[in-house]
Amino acid sequence: MLRAVAYGVIGIAVVGALAVIPVVASGYEIALGISLLYFTILATAWALFSGPTHYISLATAAFFGIGAYTTAVLGEVLPWPLLMLSAAAIGIVIALFVGLSTLRLSGIYFVIFTFGLAELIRQLVTYYEVNIHRSVGRYIFTGSTQAGIYWQLLGLGVLLAIVGWLITHSRLGLALRVIGEDETVAKHVGIDTTKAKLALFAIASAFMAVTGAIMAPRWTYIDPAISFNPVISFEVVIMALFGGAGKLYGPLLGAVPLVLLFDFLTAKFPNYFSIFLGLTFIVIVYFLPRGVVGLLEQSLARLRSGAGPRPHYMSEGGEALIGRLWSRPKRRAVLKASPDTVPAIEAKHLRKAFGGLVAVDDIGFTIKRGEILGLIGPNGSGKTTVLNLISGALKPDAGELILNGTPITHLPPHRIAQLGVARTFQLVRVLGSLTCVENVIAGLAFRAPPLWGEAAERAARTLLVRVGLGDKTDMPADQLTYIDQKRLELARALALEPDLLLLDEWLAGLNPSELQDGIALVKMLRDEGLTIVIVEHVMDAIRSLCDRCVVMNTGRKIAEGTPATVLADREVVRAYLGDSDA
Amino acid sequence: MTLYSDILLSGLVLGGMYALTALGLTLQYGVARIMNLSYGEFLVAASFGALFLYTGASVNPIVGLLLVVPLSFGAHWLLYQIVLTPLVRRAKHQGMLEVDSILATFGVLFVVQGVMLVLFGGQLYSYTYLSIPISVLGSTLAVNRLLALAFALIIGGALYLFLTRTRSGTALRAIAVNPTAAQLSGIDIRAASALAFAAGGAIVGAAGVLISMFLTFSAASGVGFTMKALIVVIMGGVGSMAGALVAGLMLGIAETAVSRLIDPGLTIAVTYALFLAALLWRPTGLFGRPAR
Repeated sequence: MLRAVAYGVIGIAVVGALAVIPVVASGYEIALGISLLYFTILATAWALFSGPTHYISLATAAFFGIGAYTTAVLGEVLPWPLLMLSAAAIGIVIALFVGLSTLRLSGIYFVIFTFGLAELIRQLVTYYEVNIHRSVGRYIFTGSTQAGIYWQLLGLGVLLAIVGWLITHSRLGLALRVIGEDETVAKHVGIDTTKAKLALFAIASAFMAVTGAIMAPRWTYIDPAISFNPVISFEVVIMALFGGAGKLYGPLLGAVPLVLLFDFLTAKFPNYFSIFLGLTFIVIVYFLPRGVVGLLEQSLARLRSGAGPRPHYMSEGGEALIGRLWSRPKRRAVLKASPDTVPAIEAKHLRKAFGGLVAVDDIGFTIKRGEILGLIGPNGSGKTTVLNLISGALKPDAGELILNGTPITHLPPHRIAQLGVARTFQLVRVLGSLTCVENVIAGLAFRAPPLWGEAAERAARTLLVRVGLGDKTDMPADQLTYIDQKRLELARALALEPDLLLLDEWLAGLNPSELQDGIALVKMLRDEGLTIVIVEHVMDAIRSLCDRCVVMNTGRKIAEGTPATVLADREVVRAYLGDSDA
Repeated sequence: MTLYSDILLSGLVLGGMYALTALGLTLQYGVARIMNLSYGEFLVAASFGALFLYTGASVNPIVGLLLVVPLSFGAHWLLYQIVLTPLVRRAKHQGMLEVDSILATFGVLFVVQGVMLVLFGGQLYSYTYLSIPISVLGSTLAVNRLLALAFALIIGGALYLFLTRTRSGTALRAIAVNPTAAQLSGIDIRAASALAFAAGGAIVGAAGVLISMFLTFSAASGVGFTMKALIVVIMGGVGSMAGALVAGLMLGIAETAVSRLIDPGLTIAVTYALFLAALLWRPTGLFGRPAR
């Protein structure tokens, strides 16, 4: 509490000191101050979205230009507050349109599309201005002075810092980090990835548009070439990366020195600017991949030697303000009527083909609550595909899936996760740069109902103790051994409080003593009444864990029954070992 | 009627150039896994090379190909070995290499463009070579355009034969499909990637020379070529030669049609509309394999 007050006082003092600058400074100094402020704002807004997701956006110039044109067209009609709001609104609408069409595609398409977005909008605006407005440029006569622009930018910067802090400390911030680490995992812990990315892209774009709207009067005369200058996009990327896009204050550390450097270079060597810009890019990529922030953290870590408790990264207040923007997971419907008569999951006539290969062919089974079903069969028989169909990673071509009496056949993976299906992956997937606690919180924070703040941290530590990782809670997940990564993945799945747990070869690759630990852990879960589907090749585990087995071969079900019966079945033996041994 | 055959013919020539340009990029991205955003700058550099060979030393552009293409091959091989190899070594996974290579080649883009700006300034350049009008299917076309198209076809055909009929070509195709499996069957990925990247460089050099025969260019026009090549590659499907050809021709014809019928200022808008439509309709490209 005391610390928060101290930070508040320091913050107000710094902003106050910055606010008096226009009163005492010369015209040139105010102009430089404006450059520093607007690039810092643009770079911070950029990093808010691109930092955690690693989607490199080159659309900054597009949104900046949209804002500038809003002022040019509406500046004399609308009062100032409405003008700013309309710039933000137009920015958001265009961001949503661009985002909906490109964000669901992989990263590279996004870079390329944003690469040309500014150019596209510039051409459309020019076309409109020439053919309909009948003049390329526009004059801007609003009353804004240099000092006025400076103060408006300062206000916007403070607002951005507050919004940025709230986002990075809310579930939305964690969602974006999880997406940046592994989008598949993100979907299966219940994150609506499209919505999360769109929300943040729109917020960042709104800030860029408002910056443009504030900056427009500085030019007095604007035309499409000035307002949609693509170099701005590149400069913003380079500043954010130089400072370090992983931290909220990173872009500030990049923008300040680079604005000063670029200002110096354009004044002294105007013809060589492009070469210097290019060399800066190269230097950053090779020598500062994590930016100035990365360097600072490295030296700080060396000073501290040995990680102490990490600063608190979750804020319940932030979540209360930001959460409504993008997600309100509904509480899971509680099954009242005689839970024993409704199966935990029911699969009917599932079919999935990849081109000509039918991976799953007319598979059906029913699992009672509290039962452990083993899904076995030779390699390539379609077991993992069945799990992918249940968890929503793949959509069946035909058939039906019913979870606790609710049809889930056509739901996206994050909805299925929120309805109580958790899974682990055949090739273990942990969120490498997040700590173990954060990995588990990723499972707690997006389920229905979500857990956040101190409650989430406590629950995460309890789960880690339960899977045997109590002494490694604050270690980054990529430093764990293989078995520990598997434990962590299980803890993350359990964090969803699943009704149905899908384990995809969770015991594979363990040595004999680890295997005994693993089997004991699954037994413990069974005793707690969890319903589990296990895909496994370790027959010892199947015999001692499963109540029932479904055996698959080349996509079809060839046997079903207790482990002892199916493993003695001639058809099953033939599938595993070939004809001569049957 | 002549308007439409005009559009079709000029569109085909332009589209042929786009397809050729995209072939080089699809080699670099599909095989060497480098998203090279400085691609267009090298195209413009080759155009300048052809211009100075022709105006300075009266070497005609077709002969100029013999000099520019090997030079561009060598420059790209060095670029891969010196600038990109450290990034390939450092990358833990494909996504990381993608981001790193985008950023590094942005740097190369600005450096090369900056050097050309210092040397040649920002103005437009062109030269007249074989600008003799002949009549084809009722519309008039300059000989240099037809010649450029013919050479584009020859180079594209040669590349196709190289990839399908030779050992090294097969190795490159193997890497494009699955780098890990290619390595396990004894292909030296580093050397083959360098070869693919350099071969892409040779093609962009050829494209630069051919395009300079009939289009004006400036030190700043590289980015536009990169954009169009990228869009063609993505529309056609990464790694697909047939896709690049079809998408390149589509783009060339669409662009010419819009610039003749509506407004020459809207060519990028068309490019993007096509790109977006293709992405929404078939995210993996016209001839692409499903991702992963």
